[in-house]
Amino acid sequence: MRFRRDSRAQPVHTLAGAYAMDAVSEPERARFERHLAGCDACWQEVRGLREATAALAAAAAVRPPDGLRDTVLRAAAQTRQVPPAVPEVPAPLARPRRRLGWRPRITVALGGALAAVAVAVAVAAGVVTYDQQSRIDQVQGRDLTVAAVLTASDARMMSARVTTGGTATVVMSHREHALVFTAAHLSSLPAAERYELWLIGPAGTRPAGMITATGRGRMVGPMVVSGLSAGDRIGITVEPAGGSPRPTSPPVVMLSLAGRSG
Amino acid sequence: MTGSGRGPGGEPAGRLEPDRRQTGRPEGSPRRAADELGSLLARVALGDEEAYAALYDRTAGQVLGVVRAVVRDPAQSEEVAQEVLLDVWRSASRFDAELGSATAWVMTLAHRRAVDRVRSEQKAAERERRVPYASTAYDEVAEAVEARLDRERVRRCLASLTELQRESVTLAYYGGYTYREVAELLGVAIGTVKTRMRDGLIRLRDCLGVDA
Repeated sequence: MRFRRDSRAQPVHTLAGAYAMDAVSEPERARFERHLAGCDACWQEVRGLREATAALAAAAAVRPPDGLRDTVLRAAAQTRQVPPAVPEVPAPLARPRRRLGWRPRITVALGGALAAVAVAVAVAAGVVTYDQQSRIDQVQGRDLTVAAVLTASDARMMSARVTTGGTATVVMSHREHALVFTAAHLSSLPAAERYELWLIGPAGTRPAGMITATGRGRMVGPMVVSGLSAGDRIGITVEPAGGSPRPTSPPVVMLSLAGRSG
Repeated sequence: MTGSGRGPGGEPAGRLEPDRRQTGRPEGSPRRAADELGSLLARVALGDEEAYAALYDRTAGQVLGVVRAVVRDPAQSEEVAQEVLLDVWRSASRFDAELGSATAWVMTLAHRRAVDRVRSEQKAAERERRVPYASTAYDEVAEAVEARLDRERVRRCLASLTELQRESVTLAYYGGYTYREVAELLGVAIGTVKTRMRDGLIRLRDCLGVDA
C-alpha cells in the first residue's frame, strides 16, 4: 500500500494540520492525541493552527434563522451544565490530555446522570410485564438500543417537570436516531386512563407508546423511542387506557429534542 | 462582498479573487473580541443565561456557517448547530482560556460535530455526490461588518497560499474531508496532502496574525 508506507515514513507531527481540521480518521485522531499528550511543542502548534481554523469558521458565518435563538436559549435553560473538571492527577501531567478531551469529556460528564437511567434499565431487564411484552426479542433489542443510546458520543439528557406531577427524563442520541424515556413520580391515574407518549413535529404527531407505571408512579422500565425526525418534540398526554391514535388531551409535559421546537 | 456572496473557501482555488483592498482591521480587535468571548464563557459556566444569550449572538452565525459548509443540508445543519450551541452551554466550565481562545474552542466543537455528522450519517455514495461548496449555502451570508472583514481577511490570506495548500485546507475544513479523501480528490500523494495542510494552515495562521 503506497499510502501506508507514505504515511509511516513521515514524522507523526506532520499530521498536525489535518488533525486541527478534523481531517483524520478516529484511530488517527486517538493516536495523534496520545502523541500530543507527550509533546508540548506539538500541542502549541495545534493550538495556533486551531486559531487559524477559527478564522476560517468566522469567514463562513451566515445569518441564523430567526427562530433558532429562542429555541437554543430555551433548550439551554432546560439543560443541566457539566461541572468543571477536577484534576485527578497532578496538573502538569494531566494537562495535555485533558485539554484535548473536549468532546469525550462531555460524554463522560453525562455519565453520572446516565447511571440513573442505567439503573432503570437493569430493573427493566427482569420485568416481563412491560407493555410491549410477549416479545422477548424485542425487549432484548430494546436493551441493546438503550445501551447504544446511553453510550453514544452525542448522548444528551433532558428533564422536565410533568405539570400533573413527576419528572420526565429523556436521553437521546441523534446518531442512534433514538431516545430513552423514563419518568418518575407520575401522578397515578384512574384505571381507565394511561399516560401515552408522543413524537410531535413537522413529520406529524406519532404515538410512541403507552407508559406503564406502577401504583407509585414509577415506570416499570425505560422506553425506547426510535424514528426521530428533525424538529420533533416528545410529549405525554393522558389517554384512555387502550391508547389513542391521536392525543385527546393537552400534553402534561413537552420536551424539545435537539432543542428544536415549534 | 460582491455578487456571489460566497464564503472564502467557496470558490475553486482558481477563482479566488485577489484582494480588492486592505480592510484595515483595527489593531488588536481579534484579541479583544477573544477576551470578551472568553469572559462571557466564564459567566456561562456559572449558569448565566444572559451571558449565554450574548454568546449566542456572537457565535451562532459562525457555528451555523461552519456546520453548513460541511453538512450542507440546511435542516440538518441547523440541528447540528443547535447541538453545538447547547454543548457550549453545557460544557462551558470545561473551557480553559490558557489552552486557546474561546472562539477556537467553540469552532472546534462546531467543526468536529459537523464532521462527525457527515462521516457517520452520510453513506459513501452520498458523499461522492456532494459537490464541494454549494453556493446556495451562502445566500444568507451575514451582512455584519465584522463578518465581512473576517471574510476579506481570510480570503486575502487564503490567496497567499499555494494552490495545493489552499485546496487542501479548504477541502478539509469547509468540505469536511479527511486528508486521505482530499488526496484522492486532488490526485496527489497522501503524504503531500498532509504536509500541505500543515504548511497551509501555518501560513494562514501567520498571515492572519492570530494569537496562538
